[in-house]
Amino acid sequence: MLKRSAAMAAKDLRLSISGGQGLVQAVLLGLLLIFLFSLSKPLGGVITPQAAGAIFWLASAFGLVLVFNDLFAIEEANGARVGILSSPAPVHAVWVGKGLAGLCLLLVSQLVFLPATAAFLGQNVYGPWWLLLATLIGADIGLVVIGALLGALSQGQAARESLLSVIVFPLLLPVLLAGITLFAMCFSPEPMGEPDSWLGLILAFDALFAGAGLFLFPFVYSGEE
Amino acid sequence: MVPSGGEALLSVRRAAKFYGGKLVFKDVSCEVRPGEILLVAGPNGAGKSTLMRMMAGLSRPSAGEVILRAEPERTAYLGHATFIYPGMTALANLGFWGTMYGLSPSRDELVTLLTRVGLERAAEEKAGSFSRGMAQRLNLARVYMVRPTLLFLDEPGTGLDPRSLALLRREITGFRDHGTGVVWISHHVDKDTALADTVLALGGRRVEYFGPAREYAPEAEAC
Amino acid sequence: MMVKILAAAAAVALLAHQYMIWFYAPVAQSGPVQKIFYMHLPCSWWALASFFVVFVSSLLYLFRRDPAYDRAAGAAAELGVLFATLSLITGSVWARAEWGHWWVWDPKLTTSLIMWYVYAGYLVLRSTPMGRERKALVCAVLGIVAFLDVPLVFFAAKLWGSAHPDGVARESSGMAPRMWHTIFTGLAAFGLVWGAMLLTRVRQLATLARLEAMLVWDEEA
Repeated sequence: MLKRSAAMAAKDLRLSISGGQGLVQAVLLGLLLIFLFSLSKPLGGVITPQAAGAIFWLASAFGLVLVFNDLFAIEEANGARVGILSSPAPVHAVWVGKGLAGLCLLLVSQLVFLPATAAFLGQNVYGPWWLLLATLIGADIGLVVIGALLGALSQGQAARESLLSVIVFPLLLPVLLAGITLFAMCFSPEPMGEPDSWLGLILAFDALFAGAGLFLFPFVYSGEE
Repeated sequence: MVPSGGEALLSVRRAAKFYGGKLVFKDVSCEVRPGEILLVAGPNGAGKSTLMRMMAGLSRPSAGEVILRAEPERTAYLGHATFIYPGMTALANLGFWGTMYGLSPSRDELVTLLTRVGLERAAEEKAGSFSRGMAQRLNLARVYMVRPTLLFLDEPGTGLDPRSLALLRREITGFRDHGTGVVWISHHVDKDTALADTVLALGGRRVEYFGPAREYAPEAEAC
Repeated sequence: MMVKILAAAAAVALLAHQYMIWFYAPVAQSGPVQKIFYMHLPCSWWALASFFVVFVSSLLYLFRRDPAYDRAAGAAAELGVLFATLSLITGSVWARAEWGHWWVWDPKLTTSLIMWYVYAGYLVLRSTPMGRERKALVCAVLGIVAFLDVPLVFFAAKLWGSAHPDGVARESSGMAPRMWHTIFTGLAAFGLVWGAMLLTRVRQLATLARLEAMLVWDEEA
C-alpha cells in the first residue's frame, strides 16, 4: 500500500514538474494575487499582519484547487483511472499518493508565496519560527486532505476548477481562519496571543477529515460513471 | 499456471443495472472459464461497457451478483483507452503499472517486455509521441507483465490499422490458448465471432443470445 | 393526503404563531423590531435540521444505494438553503435595527453564512451534468463532509469573535415566559411547513425519476 502510494506520488510529481500546468498556474496565480492585494496598501500606510496572513492563505487555497484539479486530470487523459481501479492496488493508495504529491506541490508554491508576502506586503517574521512552520504544515495537511478527497470530483470533467473552489473554500474556513490568525501572530511585532486553541483547531480539522477521507474516498473515486 | 479444471473465473447471476430509475439491462447471467473467449455483442447503448465495468468490479450491480474468482493480481483490462501517461517514458509507464500490480519488475524485465511488443528502441522515448498503434502495443506490454488469468477487452481495436488489428487478434487467441479467460467487447462482431467460444448478445435491455459462438447469427441483432 | 394534512396544520399553526407574535408576546426592551426574532429563530433551526437530514440520507445512501435516499438528501438540501437564506435575511435586518450594522460577527450568524455557501455549492454540484450513479455518490460524500464541518466552523467563528473586539457579544437577555411560548409555537409551525414542503419535494423528485425511467433513449450507457 505504502509502496504504491509512493509510486503514485512520485509519478504525479514527475508529471507535474515536467509539463504539468497545475503547479505553474498555482504559483503564478498566487503571486499575482499577492501583488494585486499589495495595491490595497494605503498611501504611506502598511498592510496589517492579519491582512497579509489572509492574502497568503487565499493564495494557498487557490493554489490547492489548481494543484488537485491537475493531479486528478492526469488520470483522466488516457483513462488510467479505470486501470488503477481494476488493478489490485487499494483505492486508498490513490488518496494517499495524491495527497502526498499535492502536499509537496503546495509547499513548493508556498515557498514562493512566503517571500512574496514579505516583499510585496512588507511583512517580517517577529514571532517564533516554529509556530510559523507548525501552522504551515498543520494547515496544509488540512487543505490537502480535503483537496485529495474532493479533487476527485473533477474526474470526468464534471466539476471544473470554478465549481471546486466554490465547494472547497467554505469547507476550509476553519483551517483558513486558524492559518490567518496564527500567521498574523507571527508577522506582528506585538506580544503574541494564545496560539494553543487555534493549533488545536487545526489538529481537530486534520484528524476529522483524514478519518472522513479514509472512509469516503472509495465512494468518490470509483468506476461508476 | 493454467487454472485446473473448468471452474468459472467469473460468474454473473441475474445481474441488472439501473441508472437512476432507468433500466440498462436485467437478467444477465453468464460465466467465463479458463481458456475461453466470451464475446459481448450488442448495439450501441445496450450496456456492453456497463456490463464489463460490472464484471471487472468497477461498478456494482443494482440486482443479482457478480462473482470474481480470478485473483485481482492476475486480472487485466485492455480498452480503447491506453492508460498511458504521455509525459513519461515507455519504461516509466510500464514500471508504474508494475508497482500498482505489486510486481516491482526490474529494468531488464521491463526491457524484455518492451522488446516483445517491438518497442525496445522507443523505451526511453516519451509515450506522448507514440502513434496509436505504438501506444496500444505499450498497453499490451502491461497486459503481458500481469500474465492475466482473466482479461477484459473493451474494444481494444478502436483506431488501429488493419495490420495492428490482425496482430491484436493473434495475441488475443494466444492468451486464450495459454488458459486465460477473456471477456471481449468488439466493434467487429461478424469477424470476431469466429474466434470466440461463447457469445453474449445484449439488446432491448436484456440478453438476446447467450450460447456457443458458432450458433450465433448476428443478423438477428439487426432488427 | 399526508401533505394536505401537514399543510392544513401548518396554516393553522402559522396563523396562531403570528397572533402570538403580535398580541400575546410582550414587546421587548428594544421595541417591536425584536419580533423578527420569532421568525428568524425557527428558520435557522429548521435549516440546521435540513442539513442534518442531508447528512443522514447521504450516509444511508452510501450504505444502501437506494436512490430514494439520494432524492431525500437533494430535497432537504434545497429546503435547507431556502430556510438558511430566510434566516440570514431576517438576521441581517434584525442586526441592523438592533446594533446599526447589517452584518455583525456573531458565531451563529457566521456559521449560517458559511453553511449557506457550502450547501449552495452542493446544489450547484447536484445540477452539474454527470452520470446518475456517480452524481448520487459524490453528492452523498459532500453531504457528509459538509455536516462534519459545521461544529468546526462554529468553533472557529467563536474563537475568531473572541479575539476580535468588533464582534458583538449577543447576550441572552431575560426572556419572559410568554416569549418562550411564542418561540416554541414558531418552531412547531415552521416545522410543519418544513415537513409539508420536504414531503412534497421528495414526492416530486420520485415522480420525476419514474417519468425519466419511462423515457428510454438508446444511447451508450
